[in-house]
Amino acid sequence: MASPNLSNAAAIVGAAESDVIGYPMELIGERVTSLQHHIQAIKNVSTLTGIPISDIQGVFSAGWSGELCEHLGLKPRYLDTTSVGGCSFQIHVHHALAAIHAGIIDIALVSHGEAGWSYRGGGYGGRGGGQVSPGAEMTAAYGTFGAPSQYAHAMVRHFHRFGTTQEDFAHIAVVTREWAQLNPRAVMCGKTQSPFGGPITVEDVLEARLIAWPLTLYHCCLVTDHGGAVIVARPEIARSLRTNPVWVSGAGESMGHQNMLEMEDFTATSASRSAATAYKMAGLGPADMEMAMIYDSFTITAGITAEMLGLAPRGEGYTLWKSGAAAPGGRLPINTNGGGLSFNHSGMYGMQLLVEAYRQLSRSAEDGVNGTEGKQTDATACVVNGTGGTLSTTGTLVLTSDDR
Amino acid sequence: MAYDKPIPPKGQHTQPFWDGAKESKLMLPRCRDCNRVHWYPRLICPSCHSMDLEWIEGSGKGRLHTFAVQHRAFGGWGEEVPYVTAFIDLDEGDRMMTVLRGVDATKPEDIRIGCRVAVEFEQANDDTFIPFWRVVEE
Repeated sequence: MASPNLSNAAAIVGAAESDVIGYPMELIGERVTSLQHHIQAIKNVSTLTGIPISDIQGVFSAGWSGELCEHLGLKPRYLDTTSVGGCSFQIHVHHALAAIHAGIIDIALVSHGEAGWSYRGGGYGGRGGGQVSPGAEMTAAYGTFGAPSQYAHAMVRHFHRFGTTQEDFAHIAVVTREWAQLNPRAVMCGKTQSPFGGPITVEDVLEARLIAWPLTLYHCCLVTDHGGAVIVARPEIARSLRTNPVWVSGAGESMGHQNMLEMEDFTATSASRSAATAYKMAGLGPADMEMAMIYDSFTITAGITAEMLGLAPRGEGYTLWKSGAAAPGGRLPINTNGGGLSFNHSGMYGMQLLVEAYRQLSRSAEDGVNGTEGKQTDATACVVNGTGGTLSTTGTLVLTSDDR
Repeated sequence: MAYDKPIPPKGQHTQPFWDGAKESKLMLPRCRDCNRVHWYPRLICPSCHSMDLEWIEGSGKGRLHTFAVQHRAFGGWGEEVPYVTAFIDLDEGDRMMTVLRGVDATKPEDIRIGCRVAVEFEQANDDTFIPFWRVVEE
């Protein structure tokens, strides 16, 4: 195995604790929450080292990194929330070292907060019991539950800002269904697979049952099972196998918010940042992409993301589908497996994106199992973008074929 | 009639908000260093990272930022569908989520983003008054 020299690639430059540790109730007459412990310790180490919190680029913690970044207003370039018990923090330092050595970040924060005494019992996984996330506290009263109830707000804002319509986004559902018809494993491939399978029209999408206006059922992804895996190996190994390698030419990640309450611009995601990182690493840009795999939990997710990836101007992501560019035979095939909308969506759809991108770029997308005639594209570069949470977190890959 | 919808669990750092709500006051956290109001309530200013925070009484006024019409909901809200959820740009800055009142959920095309809204509170139990926002005249 190639062994990169990580020695001395980073150092611990300061350490601090929260203001009151041990038995806070006995010491100051009140309980301290896990979140307070985190924030106080972070503030204290920032003061100690003179490093402003805003200079932190990577956040490492056992399950808390999303909440911490949001609480601190950070837009990190590296997120690690590995939570594997007491050794987690040694592991975080290791990860931070690797990330710094690789040049992804310069300054990493490893944070811990655990009200093991103040809120003992009833908690889970190191959070301490009985504590309430302040963001959740201020949204819990209003009955929104599940992704569509949230994502609908983004589509309405897109309408307002860019003059788009339900019909514009309906084209995304229709074209994605066209791809599903070329994939026998797609839930909505045809009547064999489902009584609701086969082609749909814009009218079908508009007239379908309302879930959360303006989202009708066909603007929403499926709910299915899925299993998938990919293997990543170094070049010497990749070259020695029977299968075609697909190169990870670029990668990036970021987040905008955790709670939609903190979504600054409802028509934008952090994919603009994660994609910029990935494109830069690859030395390629949106114009070089010959296909795209874009997380489509909802039509709005795909439309906005296409804009964030630079594949279309702001406000015009949907035109890639409406014009037919994204369709089978089009100039920029998108979601060639049939997407989360019509192929498969198990809750976390990122693996499905990866599997299809691999098949396309390794030339194995069309064999009667993976797809039928017309599914295989001749793309040599594909941008793959996953979106998590409520348009919250993003990871972008730029993949290239071996024959490029 | 008893309040039949979800009652938010109280956090550990937000008592001034709930105390204010009992008196129909919209209490907002503000940073004494940079003077910015933020929402939701933090332990540290998300703008300048000062920990010198205070609670101020907000105007209770704002503008509609975006909205959606919920056709599927759970708990007590299930009986109220369709209803309008919304995000409100507070006059003091930052944004709050709510259920919007004074609009027709069956005519979303008539709801105007940017319209003026005002807060009101509904009693859910002895300790909890929930903020709702209503469309008002300019």
